[in-house]
Formats: sequence, structure tokens, C-alpha cells
Amino acid sequence: MAEYKIKKGFDIKVLGKPTTHVEEYARQQIFAIYPSEFEGLKPRLHVKEGESVKRGDVLFNHKKNEKLVFRSPCAGTIKAVNLGARRFPVEILIERAQEEQSVTFDKYTRDSVGQLSREQVVDHLLNTGMWPLIKQRPFNKIADPDTAPKAIFVNAANSAPFQADFSVILKGDEESFQTGINALAKLTDGKIHLCKSAGSDIPDFGNSESHTFSGKHPSGTTSVHINRISPILPNDTVYTLTAQDVILIGKLLVTGELPRTKIIAVAGPAVKEEFRQYYKVEIGANLAPLFEKAIEGEEVRIINGNILWGDKVTSNTCARFYGSEYTILEEDRSRHLMGWTMPGLFQYSSHRVNLSSAMGMSHEWKLGTSMHGSLRAMVVTGWMDKYQPLNIMTDFVVRAALAHDTDEMIQLGILETDPEDFALASFVDPHKTDVCGIIKQGLAEIEEEGI
Amino acid sequence: MKFLFDFMDKNIAPLFEKGGKFERLYPLFEAGDTFTRTPGDVTKTAPHVRDSIDQKRLMIFVIYALLPCILFGIWNAGNQFNISNHVEDATFITDIIRGSTMVLPIIMVSYMIGGIWEVLFALVRRHEINEGFLVTGMLFPLILPPTLPLWQVAVGVSFGIVIGKEIFGGVGYNILNPALTARAFLFFAYPAQISGDKVWVGTAHTAFDNNVFFGTVAENVDGVTMATPLAIAAAAEKGTDAIEALNASGFTLSNMTLGNISGCIGSTSAVAILLGLVFLLITGIASWRVILSGIIGCVAMGALFNVLPLESAFSNLPFVYHLVMGGFLFGIVFMATDPVSCAATNTGKIIYGFLIGALTVLIRVANPAYPEGAMLAILFMNVMAPLIDHFVVQSHIKKRTAYARALNNA
Repeated sequence: MAEYKIKKGFDIKVLGKPTTHVEEYARQQIFAIYPSEFEGLKPRLHVKEGESVKRGDVLFNHKKNEKLVFRSPCAGTIKAVNLGARRFPVEILIERAQEEQSVTFDKYTRDSVGQLSREQVVDHLLNTGMWPLIKQRPFNKIADPDTAPKAIFVNAANSAPFQADFSVILKGDEESFQTGINALAKLTDGKIHLCKSAGSDIPDFGNSESHTFSGKHPSGTTSVHINRISPILPNDTVYTLTAQDVILIGKLLVTGELPRTKIIAVAGPAVKEEFRQYYKVEIGANLAPLFEKAIEGEEVRIINGNILWGDKVTSNTCARFYGSEYTILEEDRSRHLMGWTMPGLFQYSSHRVNLSSAMGMSHEWKLGTSMHGSLRAMVVTGWMDKYQPLNIMTDFVVRAALAHDTDEMIQLGILETDPEDFALASFVDPHKTDVCGIIKQGLAEIEEEGI
Repeated sequence: MKFLFDFMDKNIAPLFEKGGKFERLYPLFEAGDTFTRTPGDVTKTAPHVRDSIDQKRLMIFVIYALLPCILFGIWNAGNQFNISNHVEDATFITDIIRGSTMVLPIIMVSYMIGGIWEVLFALVRRHEINEGFLVTGMLFPLILPPTLPLWQVAVGVSFGIVIGKEIFGGVGYNILNPALTARAFLFFAYPAQISGDKVWVGTAHTAFDNNVFFGTVAENVDGVTMATPLAIAAAAEKGTDAIEALNASGFTLSNMTLGNISGCIGSTSAVAILLGLVFLLITGIASWRVILSGIIGCVAMGALFNVLPLESAFSNLPFVYHLVMGGFLFGIVFMATDPVSCAATNTGKIIYGFLIGALTVLIRVANPAYPEGAMLAILFMNVMAPLIDHFVVQSHIKKRTAYARALNNA
């Protein structure tokens, strides 16, 4: 048990905090799985449109690693396989059947999991299609089953606006969580670090070491946890999971079938107040009926994630494999008269050039997606580093990435990071540089070249 | 208003967008369009929200910080003209009017000629016009003597923008501060008008003279020249007191601080500069590290010369004088803090600022060829800034590797 105080950081004050009430979401007829969610995946489809599948049947696997399979979240018929660019199947829609047939797997108890070997756990997770829940650093990709990590980081913390609070999700599932932890413990010779936010009432669990992190965002991000507890050196690998995913793994082991539900938070300024709460949804279930009721505003953006980090999704999306929250913002295309000189009282800013930074910090802002400026040449000022608690020089990492200088990127510590860690840098940058995109590109280049 | 904007969006904007008639002129349209209203773009990827700060606002706020210097410079130019030309019925108003006719053309030429280059490069490169130019175009006139011929202003600003900035790729890529590059060019190319030891305070503007707005020019002096405080201090003979030499020429600590002396348009008044500095610090635009360490460097070097057993009168001048004489204060507040050409690391900024301060005094006192050291010190440190950053980054890399290894072994 250790406590860490993160000094640098910034909390964006945005309207739309969810209440901790968890509502059971209605039973849905349409389900979907999104191969596009898994970065780097080359899917080989096992099903065609019109075929009927059982719950837990293999839908597709990874061409480069046949063992990596992805299974159906519900029983029914394949309604459509929607192709994107280069005929990549971005979405597989399944219509639920009246009667449910489902594939079953081996069952374990909380303690019998402990008698398994590493290989057995790996094979079981791969075979059930739950392995992709485990990511690895560097590069934040689906973990390589063959490398034993030096440690596993389970992220039960939250610091970005409206990130789902794990203490809400955990209620009632403590047993599954412990089972999941026990299984994960088999994957590494090192420790399992359970990282929580300060002040949360999550208990300690066996087989793991608890840490609390206090401070502003990004004190709840996995990169910060790794950096403070056990920084990544070249050739190191660590596995990372979000805490809810550990519950899913636990449920799989205990019930012997694919986990059915997960809890998501729906929040943001473009959600009607009574809908800002948690929902227990079936994995893969269509969320369109919920969004239809919950959204207010003409043109909105639904983010699978929070306002700082996450992907845009459409309003007829189904609950995704990854992620525990959906944030909805208004697309803000408004233009302000002479914005360069107005006092800046009504425009949210972290910077003292705008008066709002001094006067409006306790106010909750109805933020939108406006860029608030146009793209300019990047100037290395050290400004991006203002809210960066990781021990890296943000501006210089970005510059090295822009220059495709892989050696310098690695020396400066890019391997410890994920594009997510640069979201605040991107937020504050007056030149509107796409910092996260640049880092993503840099990491991809390093991965391609090899460390 | 809304009607006008709707009309613009519907009928004018498409002409400049891709496939439009004036596609090549898009940067010009964009500049005007985003000047009137902030752009309506939305974020494409995460982070989905952005701070409402942008480059335009930052740069305009630097101009606001320069306002005290500009206004004081206008009054002072007129005042100095009227004093040296013995205009007896001069009032505050006629000072301002006279000053405006001297200073505003310089600012206008700087903006117009510099603007033409800026737009030309933006159009050829097809990128948006960068607001950094607004600051360069204003800083440059403020470090010129008010009597500089306008053609020299035009030549100088062209050199500064093209050679100092655009050939490197534009704002963000330049090594040197463009405004200082322009001034350095004039300094070496046309020393007669800007050499630093002599500035003109009054070529008679005969076209305007002798009326109610300008006052009566009693004695139409052609090209009055006066030594600057720095030149006087440097010329003070061994064993004499430099302060006395300064006082004898009419320069006291108080008038050099207030700035009602002849000199460059914007850099004579320490008070006006400090007002700008306060604004920059409140808004958090300029780096306090550069400014503070620069002042400390200047004071330290000045004090060092005071205690060294040197015979020259200048070296014995109390260090306070170095702060208010010449262009040092203006340079450290507005020039050295240019985010593009200054050091980028926090430690680097402190080293960079300190060395500017120290070098300025060193050049002033120890180098007889150049009485003013601020410009050369800043330009020199601009060149050195990447090197300073390099060492800071290298030491950071060593430290972070050591940190990671220590934690892993623990």
C-alpha cells in the first residue's frame, strides 16, 4: 500500500456529472461487435450474413495470430457485416433469437483458479475471446500471450471528467473481481498493482498490491501509475487492464459462459439531467434507444470514453467491448465576434489570457467540441509540459516524433506513454497541434522499426 | 450583423475555398475571416474539447503589452523634437501630434512592407498567415530611432522577415528573433543613422511646421545629433566619474527611468516597459524565468565590474544604471522572451536569460566598438538557445533513466 500525490495536472470543469445510480438497461434485440475497436487487428471472418450463431460462437479471428478469437455476445442471426475502407469489417450486427443457445466453457471457483498454470489461463482467455481485454505497454496494444510481463497494472482510478467510478461498478461483484485477480496473478511472476483514486471506498484484494493516487487529472491514468510504481525500461513489458475488465474475466471463469453485462456511465453536457447516471447494459447491446431519449441538442458527438480521450461513435452504436463510459458533447460550431480580443469570460480556458481562468474555475462549463482557433506552426515553448506529471519533456518528445527520430523518442521516454497522456497537452496548446496524433504516429514508427 | 455573416458564408467564402475562383488567395480570406470571428471548426480526434486560447489571442495580447511603450514613444519623439528644435509654444498636444507624424509612418511602413512579405510567403506556401508577424511588425519600429528614413525601415523589415524568418520556413522555424535581425541589419548596413552612439533627435519636418498643431519651430535645425547615455558612459575618461559625465549631458537616473530622453522609440522608458511587463506576467504570456534571470544576470555582471579593480569609469558605474540605460530592459522583456527563438526548457530559460543579462553588460563595458550590447547579446543567445536546450535535455534523459532503474531495482 502506497500513496502517491500527483502534483501536476488539470481538472477540466465540465457540466454533466453522472449520479451513482445504476439503472438496469432494457433488453435489446440488436447486438453488434466492432472489429475496428481492436487496433492492428486483421480479422478473418468465420460467419456470413444470414447465418445463425450461438452465444459464444467464434465470429472472427486475427489473421496474424489464429489463437486470438472473438466470440459472439448473443445468440441469433448475423444481420449484417458492414464493411469500411479496404473492405475492413467495421461492424457485425446480430439480431437476437427468441431462444438462447450458448457455448459453455470450463468453470472455476475463486480458489481453483489458483491451481491453474500460466498456460492454462492464457489458453482459456484466448479461447473464450476475453484475452483482448488485456493490453500491454509499451504501445498499448493487445497483450502478447507469450511474453510474461514484469507486472500487471489494474486501473481502478478515475481522474478525467466523468470517467466511470469503479466503486460504483464494483458493488456486488467483489467475488468476480477477486477471481479475475487470481487468474491474472498466474500471468506474471511480478506483482499485480491495483491503482485507486484517493478517497474511493474500494477495498483491498488478495494477490494484489493496492496504491492510491491523489491529485488532478491525469492522476488516474495508467501511464502515471506505471511511471510512479515501476517505470518501463527498454525491453520491459507490463500488462494493463481497467478494473471493470477484471470483473468480466472473473465472471467468465466463475459462470463458464461469456460475461453478459457491464456497467457504463452516461454523462456530459448534452445529456438530459435525469439520464446522467450508470447503466447496466448487456455487452454488445444496442444503445440507440437510450441515446434517443437521453440526448438533448441538435448536433451532438457521442464519445466512447471521456472528453479528453475516446473515440467518436454514432448514435446507433452498440455497447462496445472496451470502455466504461459514454460522454456526449454538443458539436460547437459557433463563431465568436473578435474572439482574439474579448475578455474571454464566457470561453473556458486554463490560461490566464482568458478571464474565465480566474473567475470561472468553480463554475461547471457547458463545453462543446470547438477548436477555438486555427492550426499554427508548433513552437517548442515548454507549455505543453505544464500539466504533464510523467517525467518526460512533452514538447521535446513531440518534436522528436515530428522529426521521426525514433532514438530520441525512446530516450525521452515515449515508451512509457500512450497517446492518451498527451490529451491535456493538446488541450492547452494554443497552436492547436494534434499532439496525440503525432505521438500515436511516433509510437507506430517505433513499433515498426523495433526497439 | 448576422445577415452580413450569413451573406459572407454563403456567397463570399465559397469563392476562396477549394475549387473556388480565388482558391490561391485563401490564406488572405482566412486571415480576414478569423479576424472578425473565431473559426467554427470542431475537433477531429481526441481530445474532444480544447482550451479557448489560440495564437491570435496570444499575439494580440503582446501588442496590448506594448501599448504603454508605443504611446510613450510617440509623445517622447515629439517632445524631444520640440526641445531640440526650440519649439517654444510646444504643449503636450503638439508633442503628441509631432510624435505621431514621426512614429506612425514608421509603424505603418513596417506593417505594410512586412505584411506584403508575410502574405506573399503564405500564398506561395499555401499556409495560413501567422499572427506572429503582428508582434514582429510592432517590435521592430519600437527599437528604431524616430528619425530613421522610411526606406530604411522598409529595407530593414524586409530583411528581418525574409532572411530572419521566412527562409527558415516561417514562424516557429526561425533561429533568430526577426525584429532584432532586422535591426542588426540596419545597425551594420547603415551605421550613420542607427549606430547606437549617436541618434538623431530632430530633422525638421518643414512641411508641417509653424502652425497651431505643430507649434512654431524657431530654429530649424537640420539633423541634431546627441550622444546616447551608453556612449557617454563608455567615453568617460579613466579616473573620472561616469555618473557625473552622464549628469553633465543631461542624463540622470530618474530621466533614464522615466524615459524622456532621446533614443529608440519604444525602449527609452523603463516605466512604460515595466507596465507592459506587469501585463505580460498577469496574463502569463512571457516567461518570467527569462526576464528574472536576465535582470539578475545584468545586475550580477554590473556588480562584478563594480568590484573588479578596473580603471575604466564605465566599469565603476553602479549596476542600476545598466538596467535603465539603452535597450536592455526592452530587450529582455519583449525580445528575449520570443517563444520561438528563446530556450524551450525551464532550466534552459534561466541560463539563457542570465547569459543575456551578463553578456549585455560585458559588451557594453569591455567592448569599445559597440556601446549597446543588448541586441547583440540577445541575438547571440538566440543562436546558443538550442545548444543550451540540448544539454538540458541530455541531463534530463540521464536523470530519468536513473530514476527508472532505481525504482525497478528497489
